[in-house]
Amino acid sequence: MGRYLLGRLLTTIPTLLLVSFSVFVLIRLVPGDPIVLMLGDAADAETVRGIREAYGLEEPIYVQFGLWLLKAISGDLGHSISNGAAVAPLILDRFQVSASIVLIAVLVAASISVPLGMIAAWRQNSLTDILVVGGATLLLSLPSFWLGLLLLLLFGLKLGWVPVVGYVSFAENWQGALTYILLPTVTLILIEIGVVTRMARASTVEVLRLEYITHARAKGVSEASVLMRHALPNAFAPTWTLLGLVLGNLLGGIAVVETVFTLPGLGRLLVDAIFARDYPIIQGCMLFTAFLYVIVNLLVDLCYPLFDPRVMAE
Amino acid sequence: MKASNWAYGLAVGAALLGGATAASAQSMARVSINADIRSTYPGVNRDSNTDGVIHHIVEGLVAFKEDSSVAPMLAEKIETSADGLTYTFTLREGLKFHNGAPVTADDVLFSWSKYMNPETKWRCHSDFSKGNSEVVSLDKVDDRTVAFKLKQPSALFLGLLARIDCGSAGILHKDSFAADGSFVKPIGTGPYMLADWKKGEYVELAKFDGYASRTEKRDGYAGARKASIDTVRFVIIPDRSAAKAALYSGSIEVLSDLDVNDLKETKARKGIKVDIAETMGLSGILMQTKDPLLSNVKMRLAIAHAVDTAAIVDAVTLGTAKPNNSPIPSVSAYYGKPQGEMIKYDPALARKLAAEAGYKGEPIKMITNKRYQPSFDSAVFIQAMAKEAGINIELEVIEWATQLDMYTKGDYQMMSFLYSARLDPSLSFDMFAGPKATQPRKVWDNPAAQTLIEQSMTISDTEKRKEIFNKLESMFRQDMPMLVLYNGADIAAYSDKLEGYNAWMAGQPRLWGVTLKQ
Repeated sequence: MGRYLLGRLLTTIPTLLLVSFSVFVLIRLVPGDPIVLMLGDAADAETVRGIREAYGLEEPIYVQFGLWLLKAISGDLGHSISNGAAVAPLILDRFQVSASIVLIAVLVAASISVPLGMIAAWRQNSLTDILVVGGATLLLSLPSFWLGLLLLLLFGLKLGWVPVVGYVSFAENWQGALTYILLPTVTLILIEIGVVTRMARASTVEVLRLEYITHARAKGVSEASVLMRHALPNAFAPTWTLLGLVLGNLLGGIAVVETVFTLPGLGRLLVDAIFARDYPIIQGCMLFTAFLYVIVNLLVDLCYPLFDPRVMAE
Repeated sequence: MKASNWAYGLAVGAALLGGATAASAQSMARVSINADIRSTYPGVNRDSNTDGVIHHIVEGLVAFKEDSSVAPMLAEKIETSADGLTYTFTLREGLKFHNGAPVTADDVLFSWSKYMNPETKWRCHSDFSKGNSEVVSLDKVDDRTVAFKLKQPSALFLGLLARIDCGSAGILHKDSFAADGSFVKPIGTGPYMLADWKKGEYVELAKFDGYASRTEKRDGYAGARKASIDTVRFVIIPDRSAAKAALYSGSIEVLSDLDVNDLKETKARKGIKVDIAETMGLSGILMQTKDPLLSNVKMRLAIAHAVDTAAIVDAVTLGTAKPNNSPIPSVSAYYGKPQGEMIKYDPALARKLAAEAGYKGEPIKMITNKRYQPSFDSAVFIQAMAKEAGINIELEVIEWATQLDMYTKGDYQMMSFLYSARLDPSLSFDMFAGPKATQPRKVWDNPAAQTLIEQSMTISDTEKRKEIFNKLESMFRQDMPMLVLYNGADIAAYSDKLEGYNAWMAGQPRLWGVTLKQ
C-alpha cells in the first residue's frame, strides 16, 4: 500500500510539470499584456517596455519559466502583477472559501442523489422514475448563474432572508459565514444533484440486471437488503468516480457562482487573473488546481476497496 | 425534546438573520466597485477603481473642480513667476497627516522624490521628467513653502499635477514607506484613512477626525472635503445584476456606475435616487490611417457621413449623453461653436465619397468588445448605417485585453474604442495624436497638428489656446482619423438615506460632504 501510494504520488510530478509548462507558454501566447492593461490607453511603448523589464517579462520564455520553477519548488509562487499580493497565501486563502462551499455542496448533493438515483432505478419506468429523471434533467439543464441570480432575487431581495452580497469566513463569525454561503451552496447542490442522480440511477439499473441480484431475490432476500447490501456497493463505484471528478472540478472552478454571490473564491481569482493577464496568479491557480485534481482522484482510488474488496486484491 | 429542537432551530435561524440584518445596519456607507483595487500607492499600479478609493485617502497640492479647472487643495496659494518658470506653493496652516504629524515642505519634497524615482513607476513620471512640463528642481523655500522650477513655461503644469490617474501627486508621510524605501500603506491627509484592505472582498476607510478641511464648498476633488460618515466600505461586486440587487436590498448604499439599461427601473425604485453627470471620457470609432483602404481620407470621410451620430448616441446611452463629434469634451470651457458642429449624416454623400476613394465593397473589419456594452452597441449601429451607404463593415468581437493590445500596436482597420477622461484639451488631442512610427497606438499622425498641440501646452492665455484648438478641430475633421461619438455619462444610483451624494464629471464616488440618515 505504501509503495502504491508513493508510486502514485511520484507520477504526479511529471503531470504537474507538464501542466505548469503548458500554462506558462499558452497564457503568454494569448494576445494581451498585463502592463498594457495596467497603463490603459496611455501605454506608450517605452513605459511598457520599462515596466515589463522590471517584472522580468522581457526575458526569454524559458528563462522566465526556469526562474519561476526554481522559486515554485521552494513554495514561492511569486507575486501578483495586479496588486502585488503573494500568490501562494492568496491561493490558499481563496481556496478556503471555495472549499467550504464545494465540500458541503458535494456532500449534501451526494446524500440526496445516490438514494434518489437508486430509488428511480429500483422503480424503473414508474412515475417515480419519470419524476426523478425529469427533475434531474431539469436541474442539469439550468445554467448556474441563472439559478444563482434567481435564488438571490427571491431569498435575498424579495424575502430578505439572507444578505445579497459579502462574505465572512467561518473563523471570523461562523453564523455570519453560514448566511453568506447558504445560497451559493444551495445553487451548487441543485446543479450537482442533476448530474449525480443520473449517474447513480444508471449504474444501479446496470447492477440490478445482473444475475446475482436475481439470485438474491430468488433466495427470498428482502428488497431493502437487495438494494442496500447487494446493489449499492457495486453500483456506487461509478458514482464515486464521478463524485471525485465533480469535486476536483468544482474545487478549482466555481467562478460563475462566486461572481454572482460576490464570494472571494479560487475560481473568481483565476478568472479575474485571466482578464488582467496576471501571469503569476494564473500559473499558481492552474498548478494548484491540477494538484487538487490529482490528489482528489488519488483519494477516490484509495477509497475503492471500501466498496469493492476485489480492487485491493488486484 | 422535539419541541426544544424546533425552538433551538428557530433561535439559530433568528440569530443568523439577526446577524445579517445587523451587518447591513452598521453605521457605514457601502459603495460597490466592480473589481478590486490594484494598489494603495497613489498613481502607481492603478485603475479607475483604485483612483476612486485613493482620492479619499490622499490629497495633492492642487485638485480638479467639477468644471475641470484646477484649484488649490493642500496649497493655500499658488504664485507663478512672470517668466512662467517657477510655481511657488504655500501650504495651508494646520494640515495634518493621518498619524497626527504636521504637513511640512519637507514632506512635499520627500513625496516628490518618491514619485520622480523611475523605480516607483509613477504614471505621471514622464510628464515631469521630460516634455512640456519638465521639472528642473523642487526647492524648499521655508517650512510651509516649496517652489517648482520648470524647464519651459507650461499651460499644463497644474493640470498634470492634479491628474486623477496620478493620484494628484498626493503628499505622503515618510512612514508610508518601510526602512528599505518600499511602499507600505498611504498615510495621507485626506478625509478618510485606510483601515483595511481585504483583497477580493472590500476596502474599508475610517473617518480622519483630525482632517483640516477647506472652507469653500465641495467642488469635484477640490473645496471642502470633510467626512461625516464614520466608515466607508468599497465592496467588490463584479456582477452588475448582483450589484443592483445589493442596492435594492440595502446591502450597499452607492452604485456609482449604474448600467444605462437599468436606469428606468432604478429611477422608479422606492428609496433609491439617481444622479447623472456628463463625463470627459471619449467614445469613438478609430480608423487606421495606415490601412491601404482607410489611408484614403475620402474613405474615412465617407464612413463619417454614413453615421447618424445623434441617433446612435440617443439609442446607446438612452439620452443620458449628448452627441459630440469633437475630441474636446462638451463640458470643457474650450467647447465652442466649431466643436459643437455635428458631422452631417448624408448616406448619399457617403456613397459618393466612397466611390471617389475607389471603394468596391471590400469588407472593412471593425474591432469591438462586450466588456463595454455601449461601445459594442455603437459598433452594431455603425455597421448597419454604413451598410445603408454601401459600406461593408464586418464586426469582430474580442476580449478587452486583446483589443487593448491591438490598439497599442495599431493593429486594426477600425475599432470601437473608449478613452479615459483627459481634463485639458491639449491632453485630449495628445492622447491620440502623434507619430505612428514611434508610437503605433496614436491615431492621428499629422506633424502640423502635433506642432499646434505642443504650442497649446506652453501658452496659458485662454483666448490664444481657444484659437489653437479651433484650428486643430478643423484639421482633425479634414483628416478624420477618428469619428468621435460622445463623452459618456456617470450614472450614480444611491440610497435616499445618503444626503449630499451626487455624480460628477470624473465619474468617481465621493463620500465626503455626505451624511447618512440612520
